[in-house]
Amino acid sequence: MNLSVEIAGVRFKNPLIAASGTFGYGVEYEGVLDLSRLGGFVSKGLYLEPREGNPTPRLAETPSGLLNAIGLQGVGIRTFVRDVLPRIARHDTVHLVNICGDTVEEYAEVARVCDGAPGIAGLEVNISCPNVKKGGLAFGGDPRMTHEVVAAVRKATRLPVIPKLSPNVADITVFARAAEEAGADALSCINTLLGLAIDVETRRPRLAFGTGGLSGPAIRPIAVRMAWQAARAVSIPVIGIGGISCASDALEFLIAGCRAVQIGTANFVDPGVHERILSELQEWMERQRVEDIGQIVGTLDYPGLSPTPARDSEVCG
Amino acid sequence: MIAQMVANRIAPLVHREGLGGGYFLLTFRHRETAVEARAGQFVMIKAGSSAELPLRRPFSIMTTDPERETFTLFVKEVGAGSRALCALSPGEGAQCLGPLGRHFTPPPEGTEALLVAGGYGVAPFQLFGALLQGRGGSGRLFYGGRTALDLPLLDRLSRGGVPVVPATEDGSVGHHGRVTGAVAEWLDGIRGPARLYACGPEAMLHAVARLAGERALAAEVSLDPWMGCGLGTCLSCVVPIQRRGEARPKYRCACTEGPVFDAARVVWPGEASSREHGEEAGA
Repeated sequence: MNLSVEIAGVRFKNPLIAASGTFGYGVEYEGVLDLSRLGGFVSKGLYLEPREGNPTPRLAETPSGLLNAIGLQGVGIRTFVRDVLPRIARHDTVHLVNICGDTVEEYAEVARVCDGAPGIAGLEVNISCPNVKKGGLAFGGDPRMTHEVVAAVRKATRLPVIPKLSPNVADITVFARAAEEAGADALSCINTLLGLAIDVETRRPRLAFGTGGLSGPAIRPIAVRMAWQAARAVSIPVIGIGGISCASDALEFLIAGCRAVQIGTANFVDPGVHERILSELQEWMERQRVEDIGQIVGTLDYPGLSPTPARDSEVCG
Repeated sequence: MIAQMVANRIAPLVHREGLGGGYFLLTFRHRETAVEARAGQFVMIKAGSSAELPLRRPFSIMTTDPERETFTLFVKEVGAGSRALCALSPGEGAQCLGPLGRHFTPPPEGTEALLVAGGYGVAPFQLFGALLQGRGGSGRLFYGGRTALDLPLLDRLSRGGVPVVPATEDGSVGHHGRVTGAVAEWLDGIRGPARLYACGPEAMLHAVARLAGERALAAEVSLDPWMGCGLGTCLSCVVPIQRRGEARPKYRCACTEGPVFDAARVVWPGEASSREHGEEAGA
């Protein structure tokens, strides 16, 4: 049975990757789980400089969901490369770094710092964080900006470049194609959905930042739909993300056309969730007589739909 | 702190005792926590085995039984997470991650330990009281609540361990007034060195920190901010802490760098300075 998948020339032992912002810098899990069992993991988003993040409260539970406005608290890319990366590099797993910026130049500079560093297999470009005032969604909400930032990162590094797209747009395929045209090697779909939870006693938002990004099972059907749309719109691989907490959730994304998936919020509920999903996935493959996980990618039987979508619009022309 | 083994696994409930008023004592089998947990440490726990939300909840470890490989939590039914936990029957499992966090630091020899508990914040002090007794040190537990109903462990704690001084705001049992008033009175009457340890509502912790500050006493407080993961990755339980030599406070995770902090290093609400809602927020 083969569970391994290849994305942008990088081989993942299995298609289950821990998502950025839900797995710290990976090393927090040393001693709690075996990092070498992961398909891979994506570090918490990093800017050039350290970030303090947003005031508290930063997290609120909603029905089947988690609303967060952490604000990308982090140590900054140079401290990360110097102090944290050597510890990560000791583990036999694929490590991607989620990179952020207030400006196009900052994204490119963070990418350059990562370029020569051992222990980084690729860069996930965060153009979709809803919880920062500058950057973030500004790049992911305008296809021209998406193109510009991805092209700048592409130029700055030889590492695989994987933009993480926002669901807070009318048509994700426009952004998927913009990223592909700019030289992306793969896409991560999706980041959190912009939400607002209100404390009715105080009539104030439940998060200090105000709005937040919604994750968890509540967003899964939206995420599957958007990942499916993106996968049909581009020829580069898509990594599906959104509310996965068991193997059948992961399989939905794979069947919809994603080559791998990321597990996010469920890591908070159970740090051992990856191992559980992996064994469930193996059971499913045995039962379905699937030899290679790659065989099920994009096998969605969707009545009345043409096998490949029409590509009728150019993005940045 | 010594490096500890943290284990994530299903912990079966072995004993459940209702104390009335929505309070329960829940005993689970979980070897690492039973063997290694120290006073002030906690577990992240949730009924059932699904990885679906809601999140696990943090609970202070009240007692441990290393031989039986069990530990006991003092839980009040408040929301969905604690209700599901209190509804478990013996034999049913909970997902448990622990032991987690920084524990209370025992006082130097000859220093009296004053343990200040508000409501169900009393949980860590049974383990701490036992530790103090084992060391032959002197200690006293000040156990406060609004009424006698908020002190469901009073009889149990009074039967053994360190002496207990109850305090209720309505005067229904013990000292009439806030628990910090009882602590201040006690401090007025003693000559030797003392150190404060507190767990309870934030306002009480802040009052203990002020009391310690006024009398130049060391104090440790166990903070209870909203916690998501217990491992320092969700970054939701951060609290502003300003260590010696630092120009400004830094957000630190209560789950990994706390929950027990030096009270003098905590930037309390209302005391905040540059960190709050300034230009940097959201950037």
